[in-house]
Amino acid sequence: MPLTIVKEGQLNIIKRVGGKEEIRKFLESLGFVAGSAVTVISQAGGNLIVNIKESRVAIGKDMASKIIV
Amino acid sequence: MSIKIALAGNPNCGKTTLFNMLTGSNQFVGNWPGVTVEKKEGRLKGHKDVIIIDLPGIYSLSPYTLEEVVTRNYLINESPDVIIDIVDGTNIERNLYLSTQLLELGIPVVMAVNMIDLVEKAGDKIHIDKLSGKLGCETVAVSALKGTGIREAVEKAIVAAQAKAVQTHVHTFTRNVETEIKAVEEKLGDNVERRQKRFFAIKLLEKDNKIAEGIKYPPNVSFEIKALEEAFDDDAESVITNERYVYISSVIGECVTKCRKEKLTASDKIDRIVTNRWLALPIFAAVMFMVYYFSMTTVGVWASDWANNGLFGEGWYLFGIWVPGIPVLLENMLNAVGCIEWLKSLIVDGIVAGVGSVLGFVPQMLVLFIFLGFLETCGYMARVAFIMDRIFRKFGLSGKSFIPMLIGTGCGVPGVMASRTIENDRDRKMTIMTTTFIPCGAKMPIIALISAAMFHNAGWVAPVAYFIGVAAIVLSGIVLKKTRMFAGDPAPFVMELPPYRMPTVGNVFRSMWERGCSFVKKAGTIILLASIVIWAGSHFGMGKDGFGFAMEMELEDSALGMVGKAIGWIFAPLGFGSIKTTIATMMGLAAKEEVVGVFGVLDFQSMSGPAAFSFMVFNLLCAPCFAAIGAIRREMNNAKWFWFAIGYQTGFAYFVSLCIYQLGGLFAGFGFGFGALAALFLCIVFLYLLFRPYKENSPLRLDRKRIAKAK
Repeated sequence: MPLTIVKEGQLNIIKRVGGKEEIRKFLESLGFVAGSAVTVISQAGGNLIVNIKESRVAIGKDMASKIIV
Repeated sequence: MSIKIALAGNPNCGKTTLFNMLTGSNQFVGNWPGVTVEKKEGRLKGHKDVIIIDLPGIYSLSPYTLEEVVTRNYLINESPDVIIDIVDGTNIERNLYLSTQLLELGIPVVMAVNMIDLVEKAGDKIHIDKLSGKLGCETVAVSALKGTGIREAVEKAIVAAQAKAVQTHVHTFTRNVETEIKAVEEKLGDNVERRQKRFFAIKLLEKDNKIAEGIKYPPNVSFEIKALEEAFDDDAESVITNERYVYISSVIGECVTKCRKEKLTASDKIDRIVTNRWLALPIFAAVMFMVYYFSMTTVGVWASDWANNGLFGEGWYLFGIWVPGIPVLLENMLNAVGCIEWLKSLIVDGIVAGVGSVLGFVPQMLVLFIFLGFLETCGYMARVAFIMDRIFRKFGLSGKSFIPMLIGTGCGVPGVMASRTIENDRDRKMTIMTTTFIPCGAKMPIIALISAAMFHNAGWVAPVAYFIGVAAIVLSGIVLKKTRMFAGDPAPFVMELPPYRMPTVGNVFRSMWERGCSFVKKAGTIILLASIVIWAGSHFGMGKDGFGFAMEMELEDSALGMVGKAIGWIFAPLGFGSIKTTIATMMGLAAKEEVVGVFGVLDFQSMSGPAAFSFMVFNLLCAPCFAAIGAIRREMNNAKWFWFAIGYQTGFAYFVSLCIYQLGGLFAGFGFGFGALAALFLCIVFLYLLFRPYKENSPLRLDRKRIAKAK
């Protein structure tokens, strides 16, 4: 399921990252790769703040919906 | 021979703090990713022959962001003698991703694991010796904040540089990948330096097309890429990325002992409130209101009033004792030494009045700078971008555009430069074009002057000026998005949020000092010069006995007046074609404060309400000062785009002012004329541009549909 509908505080494993190549590459360098653990810290209207590899990353709704866990 | 040490690492990992400590310089350190957008050089304290280079923070050596390109080009082309790779110990796993790439460059690397104090505080342990062995480079634990380990790191770096060793890579990929890397390395032949071969080979396999530009005869590696993709059933770059992360996990597993406690950190708890769906905007509005309320009305006004009426006016009371102001003191002094009349006039009426009228606003600005410095260092800035993204997206801008605008309220130059953190080229260009619409510190005096002189210091003038700035950005965003040049969605929002930190007093004052200093410097140079030019221009001219100098010169007859008259017709439709306002507007190009400076020298002329307002708005929105124009030119890096930006800003300002004066005049009873007709016509054209459908399939409508469904 897409990251946008994950419950806050739940630990999930990323299965796939979609979207345009450029952004996907950027996400990869931030640690969003298949197999990484990700936790949603807070969400506001689909925009998320997540914990990935111990750092906090804010992701807009359109991108978050392309991260499948 | 001198040694060059490059500092590289992730954004916001403490490079600049370390740079300041090593070089003793005073670079401002913010708490949001992307503070350093240009590389900076300094000399190591106590070692004149060691040069330290602070590079912009990056997550990877790929070429997707401007910072990455700057850093990568520097590392490849200038080959520093040694790299100090600064790693944030609190999220070491992500940081090591860059480290594995730095280690492939062939340049000796010393790794500095920073924020070790925070790691220990959290109860975790990083085994530095094991890490060093695993990665094959010298490793030192460092705390930039407490100042521990830094000396050791630099000493090791100097030793490594002097040894002139080539960094050997310890990490190997799986056999299939290594075979392809070897094959590409062989194809590269003598095209690149031997020690850089591995780096180039891997980047070529990652289909990094920018790397090929740096090679004289780039080899064709499509065969190797295909072999790799077939073997792994994935695209080549993902294969390599995944392998890196797998390797890093294995390193972390051995070298880091974590004390597991899956709890929300203090930062997370603050974020839950501050970025909350309902509370985020009210909190943000309250914060911004406080900032402007304190700097524009209370503290700032007391200070500026004292400076304007006391220090640069008649005088003031110090504990009940009357202290005369600088102009009074100076005049008395010049009278005492029997100064020639014209020189006295130049000094008192020209320089002191001109520069003084601008310097009077310094206290107000310093208060604003303190607040902005605080916002930047505590970590709220990155959250603001996140919060505003929801709204800005609807106008075709990314939330990241908001950081340049917020910084632009201090000064447009760093504001325009901060736009570099926006990766998407279209979004960045649009941000560069619109950032200076926000009233900067130097435009504050214009607002204050107009509101005091024309509107009896009404409280609504300043907020309305800011509102006009924001509205100009939003409307420009919508209109420009509908042109072919800017069509398309803004790039998706992705941004690292740094943990909140209590700003140190020193750092906040450093940011205030830096910005305040450049302002005062400007007063001492450009504004001083402009004041002299204006004084001279108003005292030279066609007098009774031909062209010459006269103490009492009618403005119309002076050189300044002639220039003003010659170009005044341009501004006549906007309601301020008079000589003084024309000169003020022209001088505003040198520095916006000079608009006020002109009125400081030449006394104020009566203007109607709509004309005064239109004058203010034009000066707020039109092309910024030379310094900011220069910044726009540098950031656009393209003559066509630069002129388009300047032209757009000035054209937009002209349009808005025309509407304000002509349509405002209708209400004030100036009658309906050709000007009003033109304004109405332009309004209709603008409304069409605003509401016509998008060129491409409408992202805005899609969004609305989605929102409707969600409800």
